[in-house]
This record gives sequence, structure tokens and C-alpha cells, in this order.
Amino acid sequence: MNALKKLFVPIVKVQHQLTRNTFVSQIRNVNYISKAMPPLEEEGRERPEKSKWLAHNDKIYPPQTPDEERRPAFVCHVKKDIKYSPKKMWYIACFVRGMSVDEALIQLNYVPKKGVIAVRQAILEAQELAVENHNVEYKSNLWIAESFVNKGNYIKGIRRHARGRVGEVEYKYCNYYIRLEEGQPPANYYNKPVMDKEILLSKWIEQMRNRKVISSL
Amino acid sequence: MASLFNQFMKTAKINPAIFSKSALVFPTNCNTINRGYKHWNPKFKKLRAQKIIKVELPDPDIMNKSPEELTKEQIKKQMKERGILPSRPWNEKPVYISCTGGIFEPYVPPEGDGKVSAITTQGAKQKLEFIEKKSKSMMAIRKIRSFEEDFDIPEFINEAQQIYINSYSAMINKDRDKLIQNITERAYPEVVSNIADKTIHWEFLESIERPRIVHVRCTDVITKENIFSQITIRFHSKQKLAVYDRFGRLMHGSETLPKDVLEYVVFEKHLSNKYGRWRIHDKVIPDWMPPKEPLKKTYAIEPVPQHDSVEKAVAV
Repeated sequence: MNALKKLFVPIVKVQHQLTRNTFVSQIRNVNYISKAMPPLEEEGRERPEKSKWLAHNDKIYPPQTPDEERRPAFVCHVKKDIKYSPKKMWYIACFVRGMSVDEALIQLNYVPKKGVIAVRQAILEAQELAVENHNVEYKSNLWIAESFVNKGNYIKGIRRHARGRVGEVEYKYCNYYIRLEEGQPPANYYNKPVMDKEILLSKWIEQMRNRKVISSL
Repeated sequence: MASLFNQFMKTAKINPAIFSKSALVFPTNCNTINRGYKHWNPKFKKLRAQKIIKVELPDPDIMNKSPEELTKEQIKKQMKERGILPSRPWNEKPVYISCTGGIFEPYVPPEGDGKVSAITTQGAKQKLEFIEKKSKSMMAIRKIRSFEEDFDIPEFINEAQQIYINSYSAMINKDRDKLIQNITERAYPEVVSNIADKTIHWEFLESIERPRIVHVRCTDVITKENIFSQITIRFHSKQKLAVYDRFGRLMHGSETLPKDVLEYVVFEKHLSNKYGRWRIHDKVIPDWMPPKEPLKKTYAIEPVPQHDSVEKAVAV
């Protein structure tokens, strides 16, 4: 059986987690590459028993020497089949990403969307998991390192149209994934241009100097 | 009324979690949720609604849960809906007793063991007591010999030490098959709990004193021929222990610092069983043992709700 397994090596290999992280930070234009999740063992095409996302929680890392930098703890969590459109949920997922947990919980109070309830629950659940099972000392010392949505089950319904025709209604569900990491969030996670007073002043001066008075000398 | 309100505010201050959880309700200034979705003319609202054929969506409370997580009422409701009769409960269970449920007549270790010298009055007293209690142990050893003819005490002590070391190494390697050969079913859950995601480094350096048998007892379970025997052995040794969490960060102990360990380990064997073997059953923890080192982790103490005062306030 093992020889057979060796013969049929799956063609598609799972990406190295670090390359995946760099890739993700590139496409999202994010000023941060996570080092907290080194790769899991390679998995073939066969679907693993547990979801791949939650399997990250079972990986045990080798002991660190005292002079090594302390590896941050992390916890992956998922909330499945939320009755909300993944397209709408995307905005909330992006909004929360890169915030500290406390900051996110405050900010979510002021987002007038239904999906917020599920996101808030997911954050609180993940926080509790981190403290209870993953040796995180302070529950405030966590930040949202990953937060994304995908499509859940869609249930199809029917809608009556004119002339005996029918239209299709989709009742949409989404899955919300979250990963909390120990520590403070990186400054300027979304790589936004910094606008402090020096930069603003230099910009203004440049703008003034570039003025052109029409039909002057 | 005002006093009630004050009381409520007080409790709110103690536990801010009440507020943060109830914040699922949106703040009053966020009343923009349904803005722009309504038709300007409500005249044909009913007819528009009739266009859509209703689909029964799954209940979000039940959808994501396995049958074990559901409450009895939820299961009952679902079964009623589908017209299924409840199955007859299966109450028969096969029982196999491979070990006893605890220590019978546990050994009481003398106070200050490992520190008191035999020359002092206290030490001498301990020695005398030890000899007094020996007769019952000798009887028990004779009973063991009736099952095992070639039971030799010094040989057994060496074997016990090997079992002790084997069980620890099996625990560290998380080798559950080997572990159950060295540990009884009673001790198994205690040993296995909380080691799943830890890395443990343990080393047995040397014995400070030779391990010795301090206590032997035999008992019968259910029938007279079904005999279990327990031997308590005193180990005084030097060991190193370091426990790392899932992320490889040191949680407890040290990789370099050896510590003196004094233990009274109870071994048990099912004598009537032809294939029985000596396994670690329990450890005797004396009453005089100094309190354990406090936890290194910070944790929040949950506030105690003041029931009495709230009731009084309601009464007022």
C-alpha cells in the first residue's frame, strides 16, 4: 500500500505556508508577512478528516532555546454557515483585519451591518480558545492576523415571473475564518501612506513651488 | 427605583463583559440599516411578496451541531416533526475489572521523610513504627508468593524502577500502547490529561537512596479467588523536567536544573490473572507535603454576583 502511495504522488502540492503568507500579503497590499505559522506536513489531494484550517491548531512546534525569540501563540477559528452573503461579509472581514482584538470589538459596535454579529462572536470565541487551550496569558494581547470569508451552502428558491416563467432566488450562506496571534498588531498594517505634519508641509511647499502663473515672465 | 438603578450600575462596573456582550444590539445612532431598501409605494407590497415561493431554511441553532451537542428538547422536536419513534435505550454494558479503583489501606509516610536522620529521636521513632507495621506487609508478601513462586524482593525493586522509567518515557513519547502496559486503567486518564499538545523533556539521573518496599497489601474483588495486590515503593531520586507548550515555549521546569524527588509509588498487579503484570497505579501524596509552587500564569478572577443585595433592592 505504501509503495502504491509513493507511485501516485499528487501532482498539486500544498504551498509552503511562508510563501503563501507572502503571496497573501502581496495581493492584499499589506505591510506584514506572518512568521507564526510554519508549514504543516504536506497533504495530498485526499481531503483531510479535519478541516485544514483547524488542523493548524494541532501542530506542535519544537522547543525553543532560551536565547531564541519567543514564538507568538496563535489560534485558528471558523464560524460556519452564517446566513449572510459572503460578498457583504468581505467588507467586515477586511475592516477587522490587522486590528487588536479590543480595538476590533469597539470598532464593530459602529458598523451597521448584520454580519457584524457573527464576526464579533467568532472573535470572542477565538479569544476564549486562545486563553483556555493555547497558553495565551493575557486575552487583550491578541490581534487579528487573518480574517477572511468564503462561500458556504447556497439554497436555491423560486420566484415567479411574468408569462409563466420562473426566476431563481439564492439564499446565501458564508463561512468566516479568523486567526488571532499573540502580541500587538503591526503599525500601519494596510501600508497606507503616512500623513504627518512634515510630509504634509513638504507636499504643500512643493505644490506652491510648482505653481505656474499664466502669461507671466 | 433609584437605588435599584444604582445597584445595576455598580454590577455593570464590576463586570464590563455584560456590556460588551450586549453590544450585539447596535448603538442608537446606527439606525441606517434598512435605509433605501423599501419600495416607495407600499400599495402592492402584499402582491410582490406573493411572487416569492417560500423555502424553509434550516434552523441556525441546529444546522452546525452534531447530535451530541443538541439538547434533549431539540432532538425531541426534530423527531416529532419527522414522525420517528424514540429508540429503546441500550442499558447493558460489559464490565471488565482489570484494576481496583484506588489504593486500599494507603501507606502513611512519616513526617519529614527524606530530611530526618535516623540518629535523631524523631528518626528513631519512625524506624520503630515502620517495623511495627511490617507484619501485615509480610503476610501480603506470602500471599503474593502463593501465586508467584519466584517472587524476589530485590529483583522486584529493580523491575519496579524499570517500569517507573518506562512509563515516563512512554508518556513523553505519547506512546499510548506502551503506556497502558506500564500504567493501570485508573492512572491512565490522570497521566494522559493535558499532555496532548505539550512537549516534555524528562531525564532520570540517579537514585539518591536505593528504592525500597514500604507497604504491601492484598485484597479480593467480588469473589474470594480474585485477588489484587498493591506494593508501595519509596523512590528518592534526582530528575530533570522541562515542559514546553504547543509553540515550544517553556512552561514549567528547567532543561538544566536537576531536582531531588521523593515519591511513594503504588504498583498494582492482578494476581489471579495469568497474564497480569505489575503496573503503576497511583502515588501516595502525604498530608505534610509543602504547598505546590503557584501557577506562573496570570488569570482573572471572575466577580462573584451579589445576590443578596440585589434581592433586597428589589424588595425595597
